[in-house]
Amino acid sequence: MAGAYGIVISTGNNINVEGLQDYRPVGAFSYLGRYRMVDFPVSNLSNSGIDRIQVYVSQNPRSLAEHLGSGTQYNINPKKGKLQLLFNQDSRVNKIYNTDTAAFLANMNIIERMQQEYVIVTTASMIFKQDFQAFLKAHIESGADISLLYQKVNDAKTKYQGCQVLDLNRQKGLNSICVNTQTANERNVFMETYVMRNDLFIDLIKRTAKTSSVYSLADFINEEHANLDIRGLQHKGYFAAITDLKSYYDANLELLDIRKANELFTSDWPIYTVTTDSCPVEYKKGAVVRNSMVANGCIIEGTVENSVIGRGVIIKAGAVVRNSLVLGHTFIDKDIHIENQIIDKWASIRHVKEITADASNPGYVKRDDVL
Amino acid sequence: MKHNEMLAMILAGGRGSRLKDLTKKVAKPAVSFGGKYRIVDFPLSNCVNSGISVVGVLTQYESVLLNSYVAGGAHWGLNTRDSGVYVLPPREKADENLNVYRGTADAISQNIDFIDNYDPEYLLILSGDHIYKMNYDDMLNFHKEKKAEATIAVIGVPMKEASRFGIMNTDENGKIIEFEEKPAHPKSNLASMGIYIFNWKTLRRILIADMKDPESHHDFGKDIIPALLDEGKTLAAYQFKGYWKDVGTIDSLWEANMDLLDDRSGLNLSDTWKIYTADASELPQYIGEKANIDEAYMTQGCIVEGDVRHSVLFTGTEVKEGAKVTDTVLMPNATVGEGAVVTRALVAGGVTIGKGAVVGSADSENILLVARNVKGEE
Repeated sequence: MAGAYGIVISTGNNINVEGLQDYRPVGAFSYLGRYRMVDFPVSNLSNSGIDRIQVYVSQNPRSLAEHLGSGTQYNINPKKGKLQLLFNQDSRVNKIYNTDTAAFLANMNIIERMQQEYVIVTTASMIFKQDFQAFLKAHIESGADISLLYQKVNDAKTKYQGCQVLDLNRQKGLNSICVNTQTANERNVFMETYVMRNDLFIDLIKRTAKTSSVYSLADFINEEHANLDIRGLQHKGYFAAITDLKSYYDANLELLDIRKANELFTSDWPIYTVTTDSCPVEYKKGAVVRNSMVANGCIIEGTVENSVIGRGVIIKAGAVVRNSLVLGHTFIDKDIHIENQIIDKWASIRHVKEITADASNPGYVKRDDVL
Repeated sequence: MKHNEMLAMILAGGRGSRLKDLTKKVAKPAVSFGGKYRIVDFPLSNCVNSGISVVGVLTQYESVLLNSYVAGGAHWGLNTRDSGVYVLPPREKADENLNVYRGTADAISQNIDFIDNYDPEYLLILSGDHIYKMNYDDMLNFHKEKKAEATIAVIGVPMKEASRFGIMNTDENGKIIEFEEKPAHPKSNLASMGIYIFNWKTLRRILIADMKDPESHHDFGKDIIPALLDEGKTLAAYQFKGYWKDVGTIDSLWEANMDLLDDRSGLNLSDTWKIYTADASELPQYIGEKANIDEAYMTQGCIVEGDVRHSVLFTGTEVKEGAKVTDTVLMPNATVGEGAVVTRALVAGGVTIGKGAVVGSADSENILLVARNVKGEE
């Protein structure tokens, strides 16, 4: 089997999650109470036997650096493999300069030193499970220059805002990559995941930079599609793309459907994360909990319905939390009513009587805030 | 290199036969506790939190799982350059044949070479079958203050139960004057917790003599402590105040789990003195649409669709729709089928209770151990 290394992009210019993004890149977003988004691509790579992994970050690297550590929690042998956090400084002049190509160029010496024949580039802004060994094998067998992973969806009018979609011919060859215009439901959403030879990758990055300083790699691949054999490979199974606050909220709460959750989490494909050694959850007398996921370390005395509760959250008696995503270490005092909210880490809700919003437009409470 | 002032040795060789089927294939220290832990996590985490970096674990009975669990020490952060958890089963030596550990003291005697490698000032002896949180560094400071040769941690037990324990009789300064193993007429209620600090040089000498004594049981309580008392050495009693429980029987193991639901019990795992354990790659727990939860202690990987009252659920357990689980401990990956009723029971790991089955009863004197699958409706 040919060797490959992995690249995980943990930021994105098309992603605009109000609030949360001020504190951390999308890769460090909390997911389902105990994971961070980056756990999915890194676990996918590690489970596929790919143990040289680079995670790119361009701002607020603290939370990611802390979370990734040496990578042993991802089952990566630190002698044989390596989990690297690669940093590049975002442009302060204009965010249009902040492309993946700029990040690759800033770390070109490392990319050029990689011994593996192939590179698999993937993203931390989307949630899915994928065997990359199978992806690589399909790519090699097809004889294509580049293979792009996509999901066929039937709800692109209302979702995947800002995502790229693939226009493929009947042989799955690429006609074009363009932004989802939300004019049709049936689309092939590009999962920002591709495989190619590393020498082609290096060549493309250099040529992209020469062509335009604001081109992403996908922009350049789109322009080059006539000169290269570029094909789509279809992914099946659970898929979510985080593009804004609503899609982040939905991607968490929709997994309360346990059948959907079981599609993503299977015993043969563990999703690894860092343990915080929190103790189990304590439900006190009077607690009412329905259709919710609760991470360890919580103490629940009140009512929780249709919600995802992160680690170490305290919900006091008489409080009601509905249709909400409560991130780690939040405190919700007695008799407070919370509905359709995303409450960021370490918030403390003590003085207000209620915080509610419309389900179609969930509210956001800032990290560390006392309300 | 940091000098190891005090080395810890955990006696984990016991059979734990009173835990019946739970210890059939697993040594007692490896038995699950409190949703996500194993019993041995408590002494090991106490060691880490007390600043101890090298721990020997003396194993003998059914130690495969225990060995693979503690080896490496990474779960407790004991995998840094100068720290480690070392599993020490009996071994064959150049000058003698393979001997099993003949007693608690013999287990240490046979590993004198291991301890000497670290040249510690003090040796801490622990047992692997108690649930408690204790700062051994405080105990060491007490030991130094008292200028003792050995310090034994003791806890006050109700006088009427004192005859079940090893009892320390002390003078007014807390100096131990007599040790009585399970006395019929106890003179004090200070029970030994099986936690000792020894000055290593002194203990080493006594152990070497003990090894050659054909009359000895090679036991700390029966032989080593009396030998030190005979020599007139200073033995101090360190009185511990806090939660401590021997979980040697099904009833006491169940009780200790139930203590997690009671704020007054003194057993609190959510404070800053953390207990570390292996992490399970499992989803957070999911509580279903029709579930009713009333007083429960549950960990990640649980799926509850039925009713859970006053119970402790371990990793990966499942309570299906319409099932009622009351005053019960469900060990890892146990499943309670649809409509089944489980009351006052301890359900062993991996056991399935079939659809509609009824197990245990609210007025039973003892806790029912369910170690085999229970057939339900077809």
